[in-house]
Amino acid sequence: MIDFIGKSKYWFSLSGLLILLSFICLGLWGLNWGIDFTGGSLMELEIKTTAVVDTNAIANIAYELEIKDIRVQPSSDDIYLIRMEAIGEELHQQLLNKIETTLIDPTVEGQSMIEHRFDSIGPVIGAELKSKAFSAIALVLLAIVLYIALVFRKVSYPVASWKYGISAIIALAHDIIIIVGVFSLLGRFAGYQVDSLFVTALLTVMGFSVHDTIVTFDRVRENLFHHQELTYKQIVNKSINETVVRSLNTSITTLFVLTAVYLFGGDTIEHFMLALMCGIVIGTFSSIFLASPLLYSWFKLRK
Amino acid sequence: MKAHIISRKRIWMSFIAIVILTFFCILIVYPAISDNFPGSSFFNRFVPKLGLDLQGGTHLVYQADTSQIDNADIESAMEGVREVVERRVNTFGIAEPLVQTSSNNRLIIELAGIFDIKAAIRQIGETPLLEFKEQNPAYVAEPQLTPDQQIELDTYNSDALNRAKDLMSQLQAGADFATLASEHTEDPGSQTTGGSLDYNPRGIFVPEFEQAIWEDLTIGQTTTEPVKTAFGYHIIKLEDKRGEGDTEEALARHILIKTKSAYDFVQPSDQWMLTDLTGKNLTRAEVLFDPQTNEPQVGLVFDSEGKDLFGEITERNLGQPVAIFLDGVAISIPTVQAKITQGEAVITGNFTLPDAKLLAQRLNAGALPIPIELISQQTVGPTLGKISLQKSLVAGMIGLIMIALFMIAFYRLPGLLAVIALIIYSIVALVIFEAWPVTLTLAGVAGFILSVGMAVDANVLIFERMREELRLGKPLSSAVEEGFTRAWASIRDSNVSSLITCLILIWFGTSIIKGFAITLGIGILVSMFTAITVTRTFLRLVASNKLSKYLGLFNIKFKK
Repeated sequence: MIDFIGKSKYWFSLSGLLILLSFICLGLWGLNWGIDFTGGSLMELEIKTTAVVDTNAIANIAYELEIKDIRVQPSSDDIYLIRMEAIGEELHQQLLNKIETTLIDPTVEGQSMIEHRFDSIGPVIGAELKSKAFSAIALVLLAIVLYIALVFRKVSYPVASWKYGISAIIALAHDIIIIVGVFSLLGRFAGYQVDSLFVTALLTVMGFSVHDTIVTFDRVRENLFHHQELTYKQIVNKSINETVVRSLNTSITTLFVLTAVYLFGGDTIEHFMLALMCGIVIGTFSSIFLASPLLYSWFKLRK
Repeated sequence: MKAHIISRKRIWMSFIAIVILTFFCILIVYPAISDNFPGSSFFNRFVPKLGLDLQGGTHLVYQADTSQIDNADIESAMEGVREVVERRVNTFGIAEPLVQTSSNNRLIIELAGIFDIKAAIRQIGETPLLEFKEQNPAYVAEPQLTPDQQIELDTYNSDALNRAKDLMSQLQAGADFATLASEHTEDPGSQTTGGSLDYNPRGIFVPEFEQAIWEDLTIGQTTTEPVKTAFGYHIIKLEDKRGEGDTEEALARHILIKTKSAYDFVQPSDQWMLTDLTGKNLTRAEVLFDPQTNEPQVGLVFDSEGKDLFGEITERNLGQPVAIFLDGVAISIPTVQAKITQGEAVITGNFTLPDAKLLAQRLNAGALPIPIELISQQTVGPTLGKISLQKSLVAGMIGLIMIALFMIAFYRLPGLLAVIALIIYSIVALVIFEAWPVTLTLAGVAGFILSVGMAVDANVLIFERMREELRLGKPLSSAVEEGFTRAWASIRDSNVSSLITCLILIWFGTSIIKGFAITLGIGILVSMFTAITVTRTFLRLVASNKLSKYLGLFNIKFKK
């Protein structure tokens, strides 16, 4: 049997350090918000030419049309992502035409340009979506505390049932802060954006992490009933040991599918998958090393 | 002992039920069952409904500018906008277009499939066009020709008559009608058929032609004089008649020698010409009732510029008709009774109340200065959607295979059973997606794939419990039952928290998030169902005590 509780100060220090680093990242760089939330346009072009595509030429065309905040980013296989302020349909067509006439020589065979995607989101919609996302996260947190308090309402000795809820929420908040921190870092150095898919990933990880925590707490509940001869510390430690294989196995199978989609699922949901993967790893860590040890610390504190 | 036999029987029955259910689900999911198979038309009816991002298409959000109208009129104006846009969208010929009003006076339009998105956006965005027109002074019912043109016209037409008469005499001399028709007719439609016009019922042709084939001629006869119609001179031969009463049809041949009219020399001028007054000058339209007759009318209120323009127009056209055009069609042509300077007008006509309401609604929608503005657009080209779908399916398969290998390596026999249960789970979930139907987006497919990963969890929980019981030395069959009973509380409580998250996502989300949450939520529910039915039945089936000797199959090293 592994002594998870005895070494909890190490886990707490590691978590604390990660949270601190996340806040530093956030403080330094903030988040790279996607156009879902800020408003803006995103154009995905496949440009097939024999010559090297000059991304500055595309940017210059946008300047001529007085489109602001343009960024051209080459992606895989002749794909270019062009981000800019929110533009209307007329300007969109002008830009498209101009890029095509500048870069593509129709007399040369094999030169072509296809627009795969065009998103344009007005700033009003962006702001609405942002506030919606925040309220969704708040609502999920609230619903989970209430739910856990409800499920564990009969377990009031030696730790009150709502403390199970609060422990789970602390573990959750820990997960969210670290994922956001990771995306702040990736946003600064790899251009990863925080969009509505990222928020979806956060919320899913919250569900998953609580799911994991509940399984362990459930075991604590059961062991409290069956092993009244053990101390609370022993019971929590026993419960973690009994559920750790299951936690790891579930995370591993979930990570398998996520990794597969991350590697082979295409660009559109790549970042979404990465956020989910980070979340599953951190969520598994927190439900093993954080949530239950916290429960015990709380018990000790009361004494 | 007897009880044991009965329960084995029940397990077998559950097993057979699962096999039948699975077979039925496979039939639904499999897209192209051969027609010979019984019920194939039923099973092939189910197809996955793909979202815009997977089949290509566009999601448009328009903001209506309602600042110019009274609060009380907003709802009817929005409904008017929706109807006008829906009518326009329907002309694109796209399957299942979606046009709906949304909160904050927005209009959401979703168009799926392959079409000219650029043209669609342009046509949707056009302001419904309201125009006021007055009579065109240049318009004349009969164009006036110069003497020279008149001579030219007369010469051409008398020449045509002569040519027709000449053909007539050739026919009377015994020439073949069909040959003559293909050589001389000026009707391109029947030139290659020897002048034949095929069988036609009454009422298809111009009256003079109808007279000839239905009244004057008997079968086999040819007209003795060229028949003059608006097209020119016809020589007509009635070949055959068939059917009776309303279904009677006649087969005729003809030779056409065209004539010219004044319109071939003078461009016809439009009867109506534009004024400067348009829908942008209309403040609102409303249904009124004539104080004397109580008949419904439509009242128009102009803005200050419109007031002046309307005053000028009515002054110019006193006693003359003025036409009101909507989207290029004249909807009302009132006659001006007096000069109107207060900027209000009434359209009288024989309106029924619903007609008057509809017109007011359409005018109100058309009267918005910039009725709707595109504030958000998400467009995905059809190739990208196809690639995304293929990629995510491949990724899902790879993930499933990895899970299968892991589960079998770690849990041995139960692992294999869990993999079969997972496959059944995937098929059942797909059936629900198709039958509901759930619109599958890329995020939705990701949600489904994630739910496959999470579905393993219920099995893992059960197997871990089972192994604990086996390690305690319990017999296999009771270890299976205990494992289930004890794992169930964890499975239920933990999945409920994920379901709560899904519900909140569905409640709050935009279409992308919704798609993800719905498939994940359905996935979680179905995974709970398959864990407690399918996995359980399979395990009970193999948990005969004969297998107890081979606990290696359950990855248990038995330590005493």
